[in-house]
Amino acid sequence: MAVEALKLIRGGEEEGRKLIEEAKESVAKIIKDAEEEVKKLKEKARVDEKNLAVQISDKYAKEGEVEEKAIMKDAEAEAEKLKTTAGSNLDSTVNCCVRKNFRTCLNFFQRKV
Amino acid sequence: MGAKEIVDKIKDEANAECEKIMSEAKENAERIIKEAREEIELQNKKFIEAEERKGVEEEERIVRAARLNARKVRWDAEEEMIGKALDEAMDRIKEIKRGGFKGNSYSNILTGLIKDAAMSIIAGSSASSELEVMLSEGDADASFVTPDMLKKISAEISAGGVNVRLSLSNERIKSAGGIIVRGKDGKIEVNNTFEQRMARFSTSLREEIVKNLFTK
Repeated sequence: MAVEALKLIRGGEEEGRKLIEEAKESVAKIIKDAEEEVKKLKEKARVDEKNLAVQISDKYAKEGEVEEKAIMKDAEAEAEKLKTTAGSNLDSTVNCCVRKNFRTCLNFFQRKV
Repeated sequence: MGAKEIVDKIKDEANAECEKIMSEAKENAERIIKEAREEIELQNKKFIEAEERKGVEEEERIVRAARLNARKVRWDAEEEMIGKALDEAMDRIKEIKRGGFKGNSYSNILTGLIKDAAMSIIAGSSASSELEVMLSEGDADASFVTPDMLKKISAEISAGGVNVRLSLSNERIKSAGGIIVRGKDGKIEVNNTFEQRMARFSTSLREEIVKNLFTK
């Protein structure tokens, strides 16, 4: 009778040990799964970062291009204005150059040394 | 307590231990994932900030380059018109050979250029100087400068105290007009061709040209 009781108790203890061992195995799997998920999250973050970098770069490049176009448009308009003003002053400016080129030699011709 | 009760108690304790182990494991797993998410979020925030900074720098670089280009466009327009003014001035100077300038014939202008050059050469010298005048082929053929003219100029300069004798050189120069006066020994010469005078004046002329051309 006592032997039977001891066997029963040992059986119970064995079953308990098995349950705990199984639980420990499950723990390893739970942690491994969590680590796997972290790996996937990080991988996704890397891909997202690449896309994001392209989006951000495009956004600022486009803004820069818009500004660039406006600056160049203004500059070209200003250059045209300069040419128009210069065109209307060309004749008097050329006269001024010619006068300057001959001023000293005419002085020399006209004055006694 | 009977054996069955003992076995039940062992099983209950084992189950409780299992539940505790599983619960801790789940908590750990959740913590690991939560910490990873927080880390990713932080990194993402830093990444966005860095990319935004790079983006702003790139935009500023584009704008800076555009401003430089714009300056060049304006500068090119100015240079084009300055060049045009100088070219037209040179063309008009060439016309002076035919029509003279302000009532002075081309011969008179050459006389002035010869005097100017000769005076520069003898400046500060007390020794007598023998100078020769070089002309372009066309000017020599048209006899714009004659030996008689040179005699007169020599006399005029010599009257100032330094004996000068000017003569015509057989050497010809390539020029639209003007003269070169050179010492007979060839050591010193003054280039008074139109092209050289224009080049000499161009620095000071530029300021005047810019002022005249671009003032409304």
